[in-house]
Amino acid sequence: MKMRRRIMSVMVFLLFLLVSLIMLFPIYYLIIGSLQDGKEIFRAGMKFFIHPREIKWSNYPNLFTYNDGIYTKWFSNSVFYAVAFTVCALVLSSLVGYGLGAYSFKGKNMIFVLVLAVMMIPLEILMLPLYKLIVKIKLINTAGGIIFPFMVAPVAIFFFRQFVSGISPEFMESARIDGCTEFGIFYRIVVPLMKPAFGAMTILLAMQNWNSFVWPLIVLRDSNKFTLTIGIASLINPYSANYDVMIAGSVVAILPILILFLFNQRFFIAGLTSGGVKG
Amino acid sequence: MNQNREIRSFRKVLYSKKAAPYLFCLPFIISFLIFFLYPTINTILMSFQKIEGFNNVTWIGLGNYKRLFNVHFYNALKSSSIYMVCMVSIMLIFPITIATFLNSKILKFKNFFRSAIFVPTLTSVIVAGIAFRLMFGETEAGLFNSIILKLGGEIIAWKTGYVTGMIMMVSLAAWRELGINMVYCLSALQSIPEELYEAADIDGANAVQKFVFVTIPQVQPIIIYILTLTILNGYRMFTEGYVYWNETNPGDIGLTIVRYIYQQAFQRNDFGMGSAIGVALLVIVLTVNMFQLNFFGLFKKEDAS
Amino acid sequence: MKKLLATALALTLALSLTACGGGSSETAGGNSEETKKEAVGGQTGSGEGNIITIWTSNELHNQMFEFGEKAYNEKHADNPVKLKIEVYPNTEMANKLLIALQSGVGAPDVADININYFSNFLKGDIQLVPMNDIVEKELADCVQSRFDLYKKDSNYYGLPTHVGATVVYYNMEIMENAGFTIEDVNAIETWDQYRDIGVEVFEKTGIPMTIYEVSNQRPFWPMIVQRGGDYLNTDGSVAMDSDSNIQVLEWMKDFWDTGAVVAAPGGSTSVEEFWTWMNQGGCASLTMPSWFMSRFTNYMPDLEGKIAIRPMPVFEKGQPRTVGIGGTGTAITTQCKNVELAKEVLYESKLTYEANVNIWECLQFDPVRTDVWTDERLTAPMEYFYNESFFKIMGEYVDGCPSPVNADFSVAAQDLINNTVMYSVFVDGSQTPAEALKAAAEELRAQQ
Repeated sequence: MKMRRRIMSVMVFLLFLLVSLIMLFPIYYLIIGSLQDGKEIFRAGMKFFIHPREIKWSNYPNLFTYNDGIYTKWFSNSVFYAVAFTVCALVLSSLVGYGLGAYSFKGKNMIFVLVLAVMMIPLEILMLPLYKLIVKIKLINTAGGIIFPFMVAPVAIFFFRQFVSGISPEFMESARIDGCTEFGIFYRIVVPLMKPAFGAMTILLAMQNWNSFVWPLIVLRDSNKFTLTIGIASLINPYSANYDVMIAGSVVAILPILILFLFNQRFFIAGLTSGGVKG
Repeated sequence: MNQNREIRSFRKVLYSKKAAPYLFCLPFIISFLIFFLYPTINTILMSFQKIEGFNNVTWIGLGNYKRLFNVHFYNALKSSSIYMVCMVSIMLIFPITIATFLNSKILKFKNFFRSAIFVPTLTSVIVAGIAFRLMFGETEAGLFNSIILKLGGEIIAWKTGYVTGMIMMVSLAAWRELGINMVYCLSALQSIPEELYEAADIDGANAVQKFVFVTIPQVQPIIIYILTLTILNGYRMFTEGYVYWNETNPGDIGLTIVRYIYQQAFQRNDFGMGSAIGVALLVIVLTVNMFQLNFFGLFKKEDAS
Repeated sequence: MKKLLATALALTLALSLTACGGGSSETAGGNSEETKKEAVGGQTGSGEGNIITIWTSNELHNQMFEFGEKAYNEKHADNPVKLKIEVYPNTEMANKLLIALQSGVGAPDVADININYFSNFLKGDIQLVPMNDIVEKELADCVQSRFDLYKKDSNYYGLPTHVGATVVYYNMEIMENAGFTIEDVNAIETWDQYRDIGVEVFEKTGIPMTIYEVSNQRPFWPMIVQRGGDYLNTDGSVAMDSDSNIQVLEWMKDFWDTGAVVAAPGGSTSVEEFWTWMNQGGCASLTMPSWFMSRFTNYMPDLEGKIAIRPMPVFEKGQPRTVGIGGTGTAITTQCKNVELAKEVLYESKLTYEANVNIWECLQFDPVRTDVWTDERLTAPMEYFYNESFFKIMGEYVDGCPSPVNADFSVAAQDLINNTVMYSVFVDGSQTPAEALKAAAEELRAQQ
């Protein structure tokens, strides 16, 4: 019995090792590609393995000098937009989620159905009217134009609502007796309890913003204000492909969000677990 | 005086249990009206118009909808549906299976595996697409072709076959989305009370029986959540096709419904037609998801709570 | 909670700091300030003072505009112009421009519009500015058909960048292995001779003679234009299924069936797979426009010295030996506040004699002014291309060479060829050439 368990354990381990290798391979492929000469990739195709002597590190320093360091600008823009968006979205969505989860009031179900409806609409069909609107309210080519339309994020509302529903109403009731305002209850009692939920949503929302493509592209006019994703996409061009910058740039573009995840991992899983999305 | 009264009434609102929820929901309501309802109504109006250039708009009734029923729309609908079904099958099977192992005692180095499987989720479609384009390269040097060659097969023109094209899109999407769904499942598994398994042990259930009779019913809500989102994302898919076929789209292989919207609205400058396809997509997505949610009884549950 | 948020914030900022060497937090702060200013002050940048904003999808084109900027400023030292050039992804730039013009705000002063999207901008109320005055000054020295591409109702809305003279690129190493000399290649005058030699090359070496694009439209498009045909007539009516076009596609299919032609790896000639394959000696010849020269020199270094450029063969004697394919039209939008200035800068960038020489030197494009084709800066032999000069070989054929028709439904017509016709004839074989072209023509007519 014990023997069988051990064999099982080893088998599962090997299986997972294989799965992990498959999952990590594309990233390895990008990294190895970023260490090769772009022209060489065109000439002979990309290699999976390169001898340490063949490594071309210069693609990475080149990122910072390419086109007067525009890559650096794209990078810091992306960070700025992602931080601003995540903070706004966390604050507003948690408020709404709390309202929907902690109170019973007329129209509550209606609002909740609307939240679900927004989750289901593809942005693409709203693009033209939304653009006209953003122009009208003078948000074109601004960070606000990228952030405002999506900062009350339905997924996060949904998530926070589920989370708050799991908190015992007694907490809030006793605070009310102590003379807390309704907002005070939210700020002093609920927010500390929702810590793990904030951890989880930070990653999800930052990820969503960091990787968004179509909308920022439409809103931004100035290449100094571009995000990394747009900048990298502008390098994929049938008329002048720049693989050196493109592949190395892609690798660096993964890093910030990866580090955010690795540092926040504990909160992330815990946040999703404790209450989280239970339907 | 006046100011005092204002402050007092403001105080009242702050302490009022009745007004509070509306205040809390206000951000959503405002954002819904401005950034959602208004553009949606606009889109519906535009779907009945012929829009030729700036300020050159004529009402044409159902004209756009009549043109909608053509072979490309059916191709797009077919591709989007096949893609959606593939994604749903993958996302119903693998995330929960992987999560079950990650939650069991049988596996070592769980943290490493969990991170490894989650990392792809963190990449953008554009970045991931660059890697996948290279891997699906159609020369002998492309990763998959070189493996096939070594195994004695012939190189495949991935981008020009319907089935291979679908494989390219599904593998890219599955690679990116497996991790997040796995984490959802894992979180659901971790909140199952241990007593349930102990009870099953007492009844003499084996591992498979425990999975079927204890785990599955307990994680059903999360499965429904994943199902809903996967259906939705399946029909909304655009970028996964776009990274492979960004200029042209041979045999309509990468043509999904959203790509068709994009093509008509932007590449053909026909925003009326684009809006009509958008409205059709909206109807499809809402119908499929309503049907699915009713089937699993999510809304009934909501009413009860 | 606060601690967590603060950690997250600090982390991301620290990240951007370490990665960008300290400049980023300032930039981020600066951004928000700018944002405020613009939100209050409305649009900036468009045509204010002597600033001209330009959108292009190709970084290399910057050099062309910068040349014009310099030339203009030399003449107007007292009141110099400053260009603000933005590079966007290719297709997305056209979409963005379309949205900006549709909604009446947000467009640049000047935009480089790919020929594939240009007809979208000539529909309904045209949001581009006619440039007849600067065009007509130089038209006599240029290839007229390249300007007609961007013309509507006798107004010129776009300035071409190049002729895009289509040629056949022969890989002489493969040709010689099959026993053909450069004299044999020189002697190819008709497509039938080309096909016969191609079949022989394939039999002797096992290497295909050429490729067809199955997700694009070459060599079909240059071939039908060479015969005076196109997808549309100049009045915009559908000509897709003309007898001439069907004959060309049938000829292509016959050649294909010999096995001496294959589909381009990756489906077209503008993907990395094709470049790698071609570089490794994938096929013996290639019918492509002149601008493909830079693809050769940039991405296919192993073919240096082996590629000989020759004019296109013809179906019947007397047909033109080359046609102009592809291109980018530079246009001024109606949102430009200083149209005259923009025109002058574009004139200096694209129409003068020196500007045309610059276009060759910086971009390796064959310029639209035919008088520079004999300039010695252009006629110097090129080592890569069999140590010959493109302009010496092609010079006699370029004057008066035809270009495609650009009408309302050009984009739709090309999409049909790219996405459906080539695919169903050459990939899945579901339709004969005549069936495929007729079906496509019907679909187009239904849209009109």
